[in-house]
Order: sequence, then C-alpha cells, then structure tokens
Amino acid sequence: MTSKEKKGLALVSEIYGDRAYRARELVKKGRQVMGYFCLYPVLEMLTALGIVPYRILGDINEPITKADACLPTVVCPFVRSSLDLGLKDRYDFLDGVVMCHGCDVGEKVAHIWRTYLEPSYFHFIDTPHTIHEAAVEQFKEQLKDFRKTLESLTGKELSRDKLKDAVETCNEQRALVRELYDLRKPDFPLISGAETLQVMVALMSMPVEEGIDLLKQVISEVKERGAGPRKKQPRLLVWGSIVDNTALIEMIESSGANVVMDDTCVGSRAYFPDVEITEDPLDGLSYRYLVGLQCPRTFRQAVYGELKKDYIKDLESRFGYIKDYIREWNVDGVILQSIRYCDIHGYEVPGVEDYLDHIGMPKLYLEHDYSEAALAPLRTRVQGFLEIIG
Amino acid sequence: MSDEKKKKKKFINRLKTMYPLRANIDKMYERVVEATNAGRPTAWSMVNWWEADAIMKAMDIEVTYPENYGAVCAAFGAAPEFLDRSEAEGFPDHMCGYARNCIGYAAKMKELGEIPPGAPMGGMAKPIFLLCSGALCDARVKWFQALGRYLDAPVWMMEIPHPGVEESMMEGVKEQAIKFIVKELKEFVLFLERLTGRKMDWDKLGEITDDIIEINRVWYEINEMRKVRPCPMHSKDFWSCMNASLYPAGDPKVSLKLYRDMYDEVKKRVDDKVSAVVEEKYRIIFGELPPWHDLKIFDELAERGWNFVIESWAYQAPKPLNYSKISDPLERIARQCYQWITGYFEDAFKAKEYMGYFAYPYLEWARTYQCDGGFFHPLLTCRTATNHLILAQDRLLSKLKVPSMIAEGDIVDTKLFDHADTMRKAEVLEEMMDHYKDVRQKEGMEW
Repeated sequence: MTSKEKKGLALVSEIYGDRAYRARELVKKGRQVMGYFCLYPVLEMLTALGIVPYRILGDINEPITKADACLPTVVCPFVRSSLDLGLKDRYDFLDGVVMCHGCDVGEKVAHIWRTYLEPSYFHFIDTPHTIHEAAVEQFKEQLKDFRKTLESLTGKELSRDKLKDAVETCNEQRALVRELYDLRKPDFPLISGAETLQVMVALMSMPVEEGIDLLKQVISEVKERGAGPRKKQPRLLVWGSIVDNTALIEMIESSGANVVMDDTCVGSRAYFPDVEITEDPLDGLSYRYLVGLQCPRTFRQAVYGELKKDYIKDLESRFGYIKDYIREWNVDGVILQSIRYCDIHGYEVPGVEDYLDHIGMPKLYLEHDYSEAALAPLRTRVQGFLEIIG
Repeated sequence: MSDEKKKKKKFINRLKTMYPLRANIDKMYERVVEATNAGRPTAWSMVNWWEADAIMKAMDIEVTYPENYGAVCAAFGAAPEFLDRSEAEGFPDHMCGYARNCIGYAAKMKELGEIPPGAPMGGMAKPIFLLCSGALCDARVKWFQALGRYLDAPVWMMEIPHPGVEESMMEGVKEQAIKFIVKELKEFVLFLERLTGRKMDWDKLGEITDDIIEINRVWYEINEMRKVRPCPMHSKDFWSCMNASLYPAGDPKVSLKLYRDMYDEVKKRVDDKVSAVVEEKYRIIFGELPPWHDLKIFDELAERGWNFVIESWAYQAPKPLNYSKISDPLERIARQCYQWITGYFEDAFKAKEYMGYFAYPYLEWARTYQCDGGFFHPLLTCRTATNHLILAQDRLLSKLKVPSMIAEGDIVDTKLFDHADTMRKAEVLEEMMDHYKDVRQKEGMEW
C-alpha cells in the first residue's frame, strides 16, 4: 500500500516512522514548510499564510555526533539531539525556522541554530516568563513582530480574517485531539498511550488541515476496531519533559499498565487549550499561548502580588489541572519523568510530588537521558510501582 | 632566588583600592542579619542586573543574594551539607549548585526554626519576600518558587526581555521593551508598598538610581583601561570588586567613592605602565565564573606570564548611556537593564553573530583587548554559564585565530575542578597561543 492510499493509524505509523516524508512531498509541490521549536511559536499565524508548521524534534535513536561541536554535553539531550539532526541536514527541506525563549537552553540553541545552519528565514520569539498582564501585552507585541517577518517572507498580508479562520481550524484540530483522548477514558482504553503519542507526532509533521482529516480517520477507526489495549490494568498519567518517541511509553505499558493520560508537550499540553475567538485574533492567541499553555517554564502563582505564601494554594494553582485529569481519566498513579538536565522540570518535581501526596495520588519519579538504552533499568522501578498501586 | 623566596613572591600585583571595596561588600551579610534582628525588612534576591536593586534600597529593604551566598558557602566549605540536604529533599543533583545550596539551607533553617548554626558570614536571615529574576536562566525563575516548601515568604518575579539580535533592531522593539520593563517596575513598587506599608520616596529612588548608574559608568571605564599593554588590573581584582556593581552590595555612595579611588589607581598604573602581573606574556580572556575555591591557580598562571585582562559579559557593567534627559527613575532603570542585555547587539549583527550577549562580547573583547587566548571554565551545574562557551571557542578561533582551553569545574562543588589537569592544559594552550600569534600576524591582524 502506498502512502497516498494509507489512512488512519496506518498513515500515522508511516509518518511516525518517517516524519519528513509528507513535508518533503509538500515542498516539492511548492508549499512552504516552517520548522518550529517548542510550543510558543503560534501555529495559527503560519497556517493562515498557507505555511506548513513542522515541529523540530529529536531522535532518541540517533547518536549525537555533530551537536557536541557547538553545544556542551551538560545540557538537555533532547535539545542537543534536535540541533544534531539540524546539523546533519535532517531538516534541510525547511523554508525557515521559528524558535522561541521557551527554556534557557532552547533560547541559546535558537541563536546557535541560526549561526551554524543559516536558515533563509529565521525568527526568534522572546516569550515572557510570567502571565502578568504586561507580559501578555508584551507577548502580543512579539507576535506582531513575527507577523511582519512572515508577511515579508510570503509577500502576503496576514489579515485578521485569515487569522480568525486559522484559529477556528486549529481549534477544530484541538477539539478532535481531546475527542481522541476521550477514547482513553473507558476502563478498557480504546487506544494505547504509545499509539496516541504516534498520532501526536504525526500531527506535528503535517498541515493542520490534513491533521484534522487524519484525526477523524483515527477516531473512527479506533471506535470501530476490536483491538486496542483491552486489558484492565493500572491507569497511569505521565507527566514531565518532552516525550517524542514511544519507547518510554511502550516500556511502561509493556510492564502492565495503561498510559491513559499525559501532561507533556507532544500531547495534551500542546493541544488541550483552545484559542478564544477575539476581535483582534492576536489577543486570543497571545493569551492562549502564554497563559493557556501549561509548561513549567512559565512562572505562575496562586495570587499575583500575594503578601504571604500559602504553599498548598500555590501548588493548587500550578498543578490543579492535573487533579482534573486524574479525575476525568480515572488515573491510579502518576509517573513523573524528566530528561536529565531539564531544569524547568527538575525544579518542579518535589512540588508536583507534594501536590500528588496532598491529593493522595501514588507517584514515581524517573529521570532519563533521552536514549532508549537508558530505559531498561527503569523498567524494574516501573514494575515495582505497578505492584504497589495494582 | 631561593625556593622559599620564590614561594613568597607575589606574581599578581593586586590593586590597593580593591581591599576597602571588598571589605564593604563583605559587610552585606552582617547588615542583613542586623536588619532582621532590628525588625527591619529583608529580602532574598536573585542578581537582577540593577532592575530591582535601587527600588529595594529606596524602600530600605536589606537584601541578601543567595547566588552570592552559594559562592560564600563554597569558599567556607559549608556547601556540601546543604547540597546533600537538597538532594535528600528530592531535587536532582545536576541542578544549579547555588540553587541546591540555598534549597538545602532553607530546608535546614525550616527544620531548626533559625539560621543554621555555623552558617558562614552569619547566614541568611528569614526574608519577608523573595525576588526572582527572568534574566538569563531558568533556575533564577524556578528556584525561589521551589522554596515555597520551606518559606512562607511571597515570591515576586521580575521580567526582563531577551530579544534576538536581529529582532531587536525591528522598528519599535526597543521602546516596547522599555515600556514593558517600566510597567513591571511600577507593579513591583506597588507590591513593596503593600508588603511593607511604606510609600516609595521617589526622590530617594532617583538619587540611588543615579548613583548605581554612575557606579557602573566608573566600573566600565576602569575595565576599559585594561585594554592597554601591559594590562594594569587582573581578573582577581575584578572578581573581588564586581559585587559592589553587580548586586550592588552596600551603600551606593560609599561604593561610588571606592570605585572612583580604584579608577585613579588604575589610571596611574596606565600612565606609569605598571602591569597587573610581573611579566605580561599572554593576555587572556576568562569565560564564566572562576573556581572560587581554587583562585590560587591564577597566581600560578601569573608566574608563567598569564595576565587575565577581561572576563565574562554577564558580570560586566553595561556600556554607558546618557540618561540625563530621562526624568523618570524607573525609565532610567529600564534603559540601563535593556542596554546591558542588548548593548553589543548592533556590533554582533554586523559580524553576523546571533548570540549577542554571552558569546559575541568575547569576540569583540578578544580583538579590542588584544587577547592571546581564552580560559573557559564551564560550570557543570550551570547551563547558562556553560551553553555558549563552545560556540565562543569556535568563533574566537575561526574568526580571530585566538585559541582557548576548557577547564571544567563548578561554582559550588569543589570536586569537579582538577587543578593539575588544568595546569597541564594551560601548558598546551601556551604552545597554541604562540602558534596563533604568528598566524594572526601573517594575516595582518593588529596583535
């Protein structure tokens, strides 16, 4: 069966195995494809101009050989891997790259990427660190600058109407992702965590409109099929650093669990928050991307300008959404995972653990170095955890 | 010369004016503990590059800087206990050494209900609030948030923009950034007024702001004089004195007077052609913070003729601006901070360099300070201090034919620095510096 004939999960599997193939096809047909790093580049702005957003990810199976010549080894191996792929021309089909101030290493790699890879179009979005009102305004100004460079690149005007249409398109995709995640709510989840992750990676490798079609096919197929992880096993939520390869999830699921929910950025963090339709679409976009996205890189607190810290309230304000996930997906335990040297998650771990203790939810913390080989020793710990909660 | 006499010989010619400046800095901890005992407000703050310091001083809040305290604990040998405690609390051991030191300290203080006995310099007293800074690294955003486990002090997070080099030159970007910073500063003042029950004295703020700006101007000019041959001031003097500018520790008027004294001394050395080392053979650029627990290595290198003439961008004063037409002290503060972040961007852009802070200034300084080599000290638990150094090494060599060496270490964990290995690398670098000096001359470079 050729790629053109494949649909649903078969197509997902094909794209997951060769992420760039659809993007390369589109480039041949004259479409512009834009690489983006992290979640803060606004996909609606690309979509509105007919540009295909293509998320820059790493590859846990590819040894890092070139990136070490321009980035030390004591930084996030996911970021190093992404840069390594860039240096090995694995992203040579991109018409440009947009990067942002997500985490500190991500910010530095943006400048390193531009220096060494010299993309014909490059834009850096300086994402503020708080959700202060002034920060949201500042972020909106950042998006206006991004709009200017995109208009210059494409020679097209990025009008409000086009942007509103793109917001509706992206929201439609998000609604379908949530619908897909709903299929994991039953006692016998209809789709596994590993399969879901493959879908997420595929969505980040194709135009939003095609992603919508793909999601419809997958949802329909999953509802109809008899297969799927039809075992009643402990139901887990996986929290933490980026997971862009199924190896970790497969290791957990093959240990005797169903991963029914995630709080990671190739997953619910990327797709759950909608953009509110506002008269100036940049208002809804700046709010959604800065305030709505739940990444620990952003500083949040219970009350802006509070005069005394109430730790539990603070935790509730930062992690309360996880409690909602736990309830809605009927979660039995949480696996906290962080890539070594991921500071933003590393600082968060004791706080999340405190919160999970507070709500009486069992948890396990795993640290790994973004390589498949490092996962084997973790299996025993997962098995032990499952015994405790099973 | 006998071996005994040789051992006693000082190879670094320290500035006399450094000592009173350093003593004034060292009183910082004493002042904070005294303030706490007297019931006056005290805070813990990240280094904020002058964004919040003047405001806190104008509100009579005494400030301790836990990053600096990490270096103090390392120097006094007190850090291992706090690092171990932090790990026992569940914080990964690869995170910032300063942060882990502080987290361990705070956990211990909570457990005891008082400053841990034996804490160096009298310890850090319990603060009424914690000030995070968005400048430069994730730890400085996340670490105080994590202290909520141990302290009920509220946390304030201070924003500062970090535009890209080219993006910073787009129309309106600079003024928008200034507007953003000023808004944030206004909110911070309101927060402090509510927290302390005091009103801001705007005249006082204006005066302190001007003093800090002037301190930085004088400090900048002092470091500019280090471009001459032989360089009159060694990095050890820079590190001993930077805190009066960077934090800025102590009474600004006292610091300003002491910096002016230092300016006069350095100027006299320039006029008299007095070197900071006995015989300047190699002019070295230093990358990142030094191994605080092993500063004697610089004396050994001085003996070999190494003069450290300039250091990392992050600890330098910003290029001076004329602030005389700006009446609002908050705007003066905002412009100084923004100048610090973006002051080298225009030149970086011309050179097609896109890491306009951290990495690019090394290139500019290697040229203007006529450096023979670079000594880079990546800090294994500090991503921010480390992630640009390989880029800087590459650009120095490829563009300016200036070689450099890497000596890995840490700001707190003394085990990570290998003195003997570093000296062996230094010998290799000397050969490279000799070689590349010839290469530069053949290519028509000035030095």
